[in-house]
Amino acid sequence: MEKVKISFKLNGENVTVETPPNKRLLDLLREDFELTSVKEGCGEGECGACTVILNNEAVTSCTVLAPQVDNCEVVTVEGLGKDGELDKLQEKFIEEGAVQCGYCTPGMLLSAKALLEKNPHPSRDEIKTAIEGNLCRCTGYKKIVDAIEASIEE
Amino acid sequence: MKEFNVIGKNVIKKDAVDKVLGKAKFAADMKLPNMLVAGVKRSEVPSGKVININAEKAKKVPGVVSVLTYKDIPGENIIGIINKDEPILVEDKIRRIGDAIAIVAAEDESTLEKALELIEVEIEETQGVFTIEDALKEDSPKVHGDTNILAEKILKRGDVDAAFKKCDVIVENEYSTPVIAHMFIEPEATLANYEEGIITFYSSTQNPHYDRGEVARMLGITLNRVRSVQATTGGGFGGKLDISTQCHTALLAFYTNRPIKMVRSREESMKVSSKRHPHYMKFKTGATKDGKILATDVELLQDTGAYGSYGLAVITRSMVHAQGPYEIPNVRIRAKMVYTNNPMSGAMRGFGVPQVAIGHEGQMDALAEKLGIDPVEIRTKNCFQTGSVTATGQKLVDSIGIYETIKKAADKAEQIMDKEGK
Repeated sequence: MEKVKISFKLNGENVTVETPPNKRLLDLLREDFELTSVKEGCGEGECGACTVILNNEAVTSCTVLAPQVDNCEVVTVEGLGKDGELDKLQEKFIEEGAVQCGYCTPGMLLSAKALLEKNPHPSRDEIKTAIEGNLCRCTGYKKIVDAIEASIEE
Repeated sequence: MKEFNVIGKNVIKKDAVDKVLGKAKFAADMKLPNMLVAGVKRSEVPSGKVININAEKAKKVPGVVSVLTYKDIPGENIIGIINKDEPILVEDKIRRIGDAIAIVAAEDESTLEKALELIEVEIEETQGVFTIEDALKEDSPKVHGDTNILAEKILKRGDVDAAFKKCDVIVENEYSTPVIAHMFIEPEATLANYEEGIITFYSSTQNPHYDRGEVARMLGITLNRVRSVQATTGGGFGGKLDISTQCHTALLAFYTNRPIKMVRSREESMKVSSKRHPHYMKFKTGATKDGKILATDVELLQDTGAYGSYGLAVITRSMVHAQGPYEIPNVRIRAKMVYTNNPMSGAMRGFGVPQVAIGHEGQMDALAEKLGIDPVEIRTKNCFQTGSVTATGQKLVDSIGIYETIKKAADKAEQIMDKEGK
């Protein structure tokens, strides 16, 4: 299949890459950019492990084709935090015990981040709605919701 | 109260920082130079006989490096955590949908997919057994050997039959629990490498020491030539105790002398990972009119599917817990675990204990209703106390918290539920 050239902003940097047009964004990020924080759990947009932020929206990167992000902005967990400091969300996930096996964690963080960027003071129900597409089999969700709530800036 | 360093403290998980940064390496995240990707050709029928495997077309696809079948296994072709009954690659008999028939290593995913499609497997489909009832019939097709019963056990305390005659009320009920998948969020994966006579593999696993033994026996080499490393593992819940991708990747690495990575799709994982044992249970429980339980008689039928896995542990644990956390002087538990052509059942959070809880707790509610007493009261009246003796004759001397737990749960429930009990 003939490759296409795409350019987009990835974790704040402008990047250009040639890719087969049928490559999933998930594979593009993991293989071409070695961003292995983006996990595959189901490959059909059900589990949320591969969540990234695409133009300020949390999306499952397994259901996005690479050329669709041409001229867009993509953020993965590698793009959270600044100058070696953890993002407040990352800090609270650690403190509140919201991390167990860790496989859903990057997707969970990004769904939460996308929510807080749009709505800096969400209610507990709004938090639950924001992460409803991210499955976790270890925590039972309570500590994840607690962590997101604790990260809300005063 | 005494101050401890860890107990009572909020301790930060030592790998939490790597995990929030996305730096923790799961098996699928690892790679080595010159690495190949690998996959499995699986049976699409639950019961059958393999007549012929033809991999010639697959081997000719450019980019296919190795195609292996059972004939290529240098050591033993049989695995299993407790009883060894599962072939690494099927020799002749198909026992479930998803049985592994051939494995392929290729330069990339699309070549791998093409090669797997091109492997021709001729299978004569045979009648399978899919219910415990059918599996126990004398003339049923046999999944292994000459009986479908993997294990049959009896546990007795006191004289159940005599005790039932002294009971004022007796409740008899049947219960069943379904197949359940663990659905760990990370599908199984292994990266294997064979170098200087040592096979090293990094897996998503709960059982690296067991994996090591199975790989050594499969290759017919000594344990000191096998390194089994647990990669960061994305959930298991018992479902990553069995061999998944370890043997297949190790065998391909052994033959190709190149690193091999195999990652299951969710569909493949769902098809062949172990499941919670479905249970069919008959409970007969008798009590005096003031709610003291005198006897319980339990019959358990358990479906282990195509292979034993942790079944022999599950039958024992389900039996020793079937009386529940209640002191009962007369107990009889009879259990049978049977093979069928269903998905393999194995370890899953509780090893049969959650299944029998559906039964013994159902019985407590039924007794309370029949006696017209409070469901909490019948539980606190009968629950284990310090000094209680279980059906296996064990005297409980320490950490018997069930009475307090029930009381606190009831208090909490009262606080949060409205008057109608909603």
